[in-house]
Formats: sequence, structure tokens, C-alpha cells
Amino acid sequence: MPVDAEKEITRLYKALHSAQDEIGKTYYRWRKVALEFAGDNVKPLDVALRAAEVFGKDIGKSFLPRMNWLKGEEGFMMILGKALAGLWITDGGLATAEKGENPGEIFIKCTRDPWPTWAKEFGVSMEEVALCRERMYQSVLEDVSMFMNIPLKIELEKAISRGQGETVMRLYKTE
Amino acid sequence: MPKTIFEWDYSDYPGAKTYPHLFKPIQIGNLIIPNRIKYTATEENLNGLDGFVTDQGAAYLAQRAKGVVGGLCFMQGVYMDEARMGQGYVGQAAAWDDKFVPGLKRLADAIHDALAVAGIQLMDCGRVGAVDVEYGHGPSAVPQRLRIFRPMKEMTKDEIKAMIQQHVDAAKRGVEAGFDIMEISGIVGYLVSNFVSSYTNRRTDEYGGDIRGRMQAVIEIIQGVKAVIPEDMPLGIRLCAEELLDDVRGNTAEESMESYKIAEEAGVDYISCTLGWQESIYPVISRDIPMGNWIHLAKRAKEHVKVPISMAYRLFKPELPNEKIGAGELDIWEMCRPMIADPLMPKKVLEGKEEEIRHCVACNLCLARLFRDAPMTCYINPICAHEANAEFADPQPAEEEKEIMIVGAGPAGLECAYLAARRGHEVHVYDKRAEIGGTLNEARHAPYGDDELWTCVEYQKVMCEKAGVNFHLGTEVTEELIEEEMPDSVVLATGPIYPGLAVPGGDSDKIVYLADVMSGKADVGKKVVVWGNRKPGIGCALHLAKQGKKVTLVGKDKTAGFDVNPSFKWRYYIYMRQNGIVAYNDCVIEEISDAGIVVKTYDGYRWPINCDTIVLAQREPNESLKKAVQSEGIELFVVGDALIPRNLSSAVHDGYRIGMRI
Repeated sequence: MPVDAEKEITRLYKALHSAQDEIGKTYYRWRKVALEFAGDNVKPLDVALRAAEVFGKDIGKSFLPRMNWLKGEEGFMMILGKALAGLWITDGGLATAEKGENPGEIFIKCTRDPWPTWAKEFGVSMEEVALCRERMYQSVLEDVSMFMNIPLKIELEKAISRGQGETVMRLYKTE
Repeated sequence: MPKTIFEWDYSDYPGAKTYPHLFKPIQIGNLIIPNRIKYTATEENLNGLDGFVTDQGAAYLAQRAKGVVGGLCFMQGVYMDEARMGQGYVGQAAAWDDKFVPGLKRLADAIHDALAVAGIQLMDCGRVGAVDVEYGHGPSAVPQRLRIFRPMKEMTKDEIKAMIQQHVDAAKRGVEAGFDIMEISGIVGYLVSNFVSSYTNRRTDEYGGDIRGRMQAVIEIIQGVKAVIPEDMPLGIRLCAEELLDDVRGNTAEESMESYKIAEEAGVDYISCTLGWQESIYPVISRDIPMGNWIHLAKRAKEHVKVPISMAYRLFKPELPNEKIGAGELDIWEMCRPMIADPLMPKKVLEGKEEEIRHCVACNLCLARLFRDAPMTCYINPICAHEANAEFADPQPAEEEKEIMIVGAGPAGLECAYLAARRGHEVHVYDKRAEIGGTLNEARHAPYGDDELWTCVEYQKVMCEKAGVNFHLGTEVTEELIEEEMPDSVVLATGPIYPGLAVPGGDSDKIVYLADVMSGKADVGKKVVVWGNRKPGIGCALHLAKQGKKVTLVGKDKTAGFDVNPSFKWRYYIYMRQNGIVAYNDCVIEEISDAGIVVKTYDGYRWPINCDTIVLAQREPNESLKKAVQSEGIELFVVGDALIPRNLSSAVHDGYRIGMRI
């Protein structure tokens, strides 16, 4: 029986998007559980930021086997930037890593982010989405910085609240 | 006047004439060592979980002590802290209290019983340690690259002082236990190497900074230990000549040589030259690295220090170390894995019985087991870690002598054959091929060092000849032959079968068999699908890719190389990537057409792969002759791939076990 390429690709495409959709929804379902257990005296943003730290820390550890200084500082920063952009892409975003004007400076840009849509569905503020992304990336860099003995920082430069336009983060080395 | 512990005269031995440099004495510190052989400290996870020496551990070491024929035999590295942060292996021996001295003495005595020089190694595993506790300790809390290791805590100055004292106290216990020589381990990511390396030592106090600062703790350990051991007890250290950590900004080669000089200045009597870390991305000791690849590092070390230099690392045969010692580029030939595979290896070299050596195949199964908290085992040596078990180590003559027909002269059949014959049976080995070796005849053509696997068959051949095994090569065993011969027992060691593909197009002339491809008999096109993603399939895929073919590996297993041990598997993944091999795992071939094949994933996706050749490398047990033997009421054993297709190790171990029990 010959392969119907259109049918196979469509099935794969649907499965991929369903899986990506579940990533976001599962996160917000667990967020709800965490807030119920945390009680009324806890700010939801604090819980979400703590979760971002835990995620980031764990993701950072998975980065370490691939860290490589052999291509020098610029090569290293670009590989790291691409790995961070890759996290967004895995979730369904359209993200890139671009070299900045300053040495070792990388801009991570996301032009399509599914997280605000999921957040809206669960009644979560857009501000929380942006701050959690920033905190998660900062936590990723904690172990990377210590491992490579390079002080690294990442900051949110621009966030578009509804997931439209472009979100920009700046990755750089501090002295 | 330097001390001699045991007198050895090698002048009458053939090996001393062939390899004169290996069997001449050397002075280390104030001690004369009769030869240049060293069994280096090797973890084997055979001790109790509380660090006490066991019968198994003592028997394991006693056997290696016999092997060094008067040379250096080291027990494994001991951890020295009660908190067990320095313990890197669940079955590592301990020396943090006087209560361990009797056990250590047992090991020293076992070595002395073989008239060898007894060595003890002090080994805080540092970054690679804390196997049973929450945190490891080190100069700095650098995160672990590999998740199997524990998170790190930075040591305070007091903790560093305490660690140095632990080395000193353990050294005293080593002296009390009766050892003759002592060694500090500073390799592959253990604590001493953590202090030395710029990768893991980020301290700014007196224990960090430049290489001299990073060596400060090591200097204090060396001086502390030296102060408590007798003058005629040499102290050595194992240090990295190259860390191979350039990608994470580890030490340069110059810094490593500087660490050698500093260790020498601090008072060590010899240095064991090592390289690589557990966290290094470069392979160092696996089969894909040519033998002798690293020996130039010993020469470099000798150019920087005056104390003797010893080295292991892919020096599996005596020729090269003999030559390098003669040339003044090395002083002592160290061995670890070669003597795991054959504990009597150097003894056989001395006695001129090199053909009786069971050679290590550098698979690293031994290491893979240690890191998974399992006792040591050897891929190729079924007795390893069973030395205390007489059934394994010294199989007794059979109570009833039998006539045994072994069908198949591959590694499983040969292993069974010589042992059964040695035990008094009359053994007849049949094979339809005209030569011995079974599927290894083809498998050894796979790239990246698989030719070394053939040493297994060479060893077995000699053992069979010595044991008086009868060979009937070029003879296919049939039901009629079995009826005619009517042996007491039959061992089916026929190897696996490679079933065809029961799918539409399964009779395609694109299909060829693995053995024909590996032996060059089959015509193979430019685009090839190899069906079967275990080791034979991987070996074949690499073999073909090396010829410039575009190869796709398709297999039922969830990951490629299910039968390859984890310490080697990563090498194959890299080679597959480098050779452009695409692997579709957890898949089946659904149909074969003129254009190629259709692959179906476990979850039902289908896609076409163009190819002009399909190689069958998927194996299944071989059931033929089983019924014929059983119907005659003959005792039947099935071994190796005929039983369940696995790897060379399983074939050898199966064969041995049946050989010792039949």
C-alpha cells in the first residue's frame, strides 16, 4: 500500500500541536493545584515564579553536557542563545537567537508565543507569563554560569502582552 | 640501602628474553621492585556496603597478585571519611577507622602470598563520590555535567584540613595493614584532581588560584602522608597528564606537567601518568582508540620529572611497553582491564604463553557495571568476580565422562568445548563452516576496533587444542548425524537465524544477508537499509557507511544498540551521526517495493525510504535440531545466540557456564 504523504504529515502535524497544547494546559492545571495547596496567604505570582525557577534549574542541568568553550566566547554565547530559543520552539513558539552589537551579546526573539493564549484560558495575567519566562531563563543560566565560570545574565527587554508582535530577551556576559 | 621484599630471578623464563625491559628491576624510592609490571588499583564493587573487605574481593585480588609475578599489585582505592562523601562506589573498601585494618591486612597478605609487592591507594572520589549520600564535596561547588553524580558542596578550609588528615590517618592504617607501597589517586574527577583542575577549583584562597595554589592541598596530603609512612615505603600519585577538558576550560597540558613537577617537589617517589575525566567528551580507553594512542604522554612526563613514570591506557600487549621502557620513555607498565580479562596476563607473558592470554576487548562493561552499583564483571572473562567460587574458578573433573557433540564453533561453542574437555569429557565440535569463529568471522570486519573481538576466538582455539577438543569443520550436523553418533549430550551453539521479512515484497531481490555483506560476498547498492538495530546491525551500518553508502538503520528496539553496554553505546551514536546514518527505532518494515521500503512506527505512522539494498541483521533464536535431539532422549543444552541472540559476552558466559556444569 503506497504511503499517502499528505495524510501522514497531517497526522503528525496534528499530534505535534496537540502535544504542544497539552504542555501549556498541563502547566496551568498544576498551577491551579499548587495554588489550592498554597492557600490564600500566598501570592499566585510568587508560586509561579518559584515554579519557573524549578523548571529553569532542571533545564539548566540538561544543558551542561553540551556546553563547549572550544569555539570561543562568541560561539559559546550563540550556541547558548540557540538552546534558549529552542526551549520556546519546543513549546510551539517561533523564536530565534541573533547576535547583538556588543561582544558576546545575543538577542532571543520570539514572534509567536502560545503561552499568553493558554494563560488567558486559565485566567492568568499576561504579566505573569512574561515574568515567568524571564525567571525560568535566569534559572537556566545559574548552573551554566557556575559550570563555565562565566557570569551570564538574561533580561526581558520587550514583552508583548497578548502574544502578538515580538518578545525580546537580551543574553550577555557581565564583567 | 634500598629494600627488597621478595627476590625474583626471571633469567630462565622465555618472556624475560623476549621482553627484557619488562622483567628488570626498578628502584622506587627506597624499594626495589623486581619487574616493571603493575596491576593498578581497580574498583570492583565486591566489598561490603559498609566498606569491609569480603572473601570475593580478597580472592579477586589474590588472583591478580599471582599475575604480576613479583611486581606491583595494588588493592583498590579506599575512601577515608566516615561521612562517605569520598565514597564513589557502593562496594568500595574503606579505611576511615582502625576497624578496617584487619580486612586491609587480608589483602596485603594475599598479595604477599603471591610474592608480589602490595600497594594501597588512598582515593577520595570527590566529585565522582557521595554514591550513598546527598552531596559530594570539592574545592568549589561546580555543577555536575553528568546527572548520575551528586550535587557538590564547596569545602571549607577546616574541611580541607580534615580531608588531608583523613589521608594521613588512612595512610597509617595502610602501613599497619602491612602494605609496601602507597599511592594517592588524583585522576578522572576524584577529589585530588578536583583541586588540581581549573575546571573544578575556583577558589581564591590558598587552595585555589594558579596551578601552584590548586596543588596546595595535594602538597599537604603528600607531605602529611610522607611523614607517617616508613622511609622504605614509596609514595606515588596518579595525576592527569591531560585532562581532556578543554571544552570546559580545564587545565592546559603545561599546567598538568607543572602539577607533576610540584608533586615531585613535594616528595612523591613515582607518578602514574593518566588522562581524561569521567566528564570529558573525548574517548580514551574504548576499543575505537588505537592501542598505544596515549603512550607519548609518558614520554612527555619523563621530560618534566625525574621520578619513575608508570602508565596504562590501551597498552594491552607487552611489545610496546617493553619497547618504550627500553627507550627510556616509560618506567612501569600498568594494567587494569587487561588483568580483569586475564588476571595472569603478565605471568603468561613471562612464561612465554602469550597465546593463552584472554585479551581485554576494551568494551568498558566493567566500568558500566561499577557506575550502576553492580559488582564487577568482565565481558570476556566469565570467572571475573567469581574467584572465590570454586565452581567457577576451578571447575572439577566431571563425575561421569560423556561424549559431547557441540554444534557450532562460534565463541559460545568453543568456550563450552574447551572447558568440558578439560573436565574429562570427550568433546566433538561440528561446524558447517570450514573455519571456527562463527558469526565473529564477519562481525570482526565492523569498524572502530571490532577486529579486536577476534582475540576471543584465538584464545579459545588454543584452549581447545590444549584440552584435546575434536573438530569436525565443514560438517553440517543433521538429524541423521545425531542419530548416527548418538552422543550423551548435545550443545547447540549454532548462532542465530536471520529470518526473512514476511511482508509484501518480502521476496525482493534487494534483500541480502548480514554475513554476506560483512564478508563482501553480497552486492550492495548505494542506498542501503539495515534491518535490525542491535550491535550486528550497527556494525554493518557503519561498515557500509565507511564505504560511502547512504545507510538507514531500522529496528524494533526502542533505541539502537540495546545489546551494547552504556559505556560504549555513546561512541556508536557519535559514529553513526558522523557517518550520516539515520536510525528509525521502534519501527517495522511494512512493505518492500521497487523504490525501497515503507517504515511503520510503533504508533502507526508510515513513510517511504528509498533504497536499493536491504540487509537482514535482525536475529532470532535458532530452534533447528532441538526437536531432533530431544526426540532421541539426548541431554540438550542451548547456548549463545542460538538460545537468545545477544552479544559476544553472553555467548562466552553461556558457553563457560554449560562447560563447567555439563
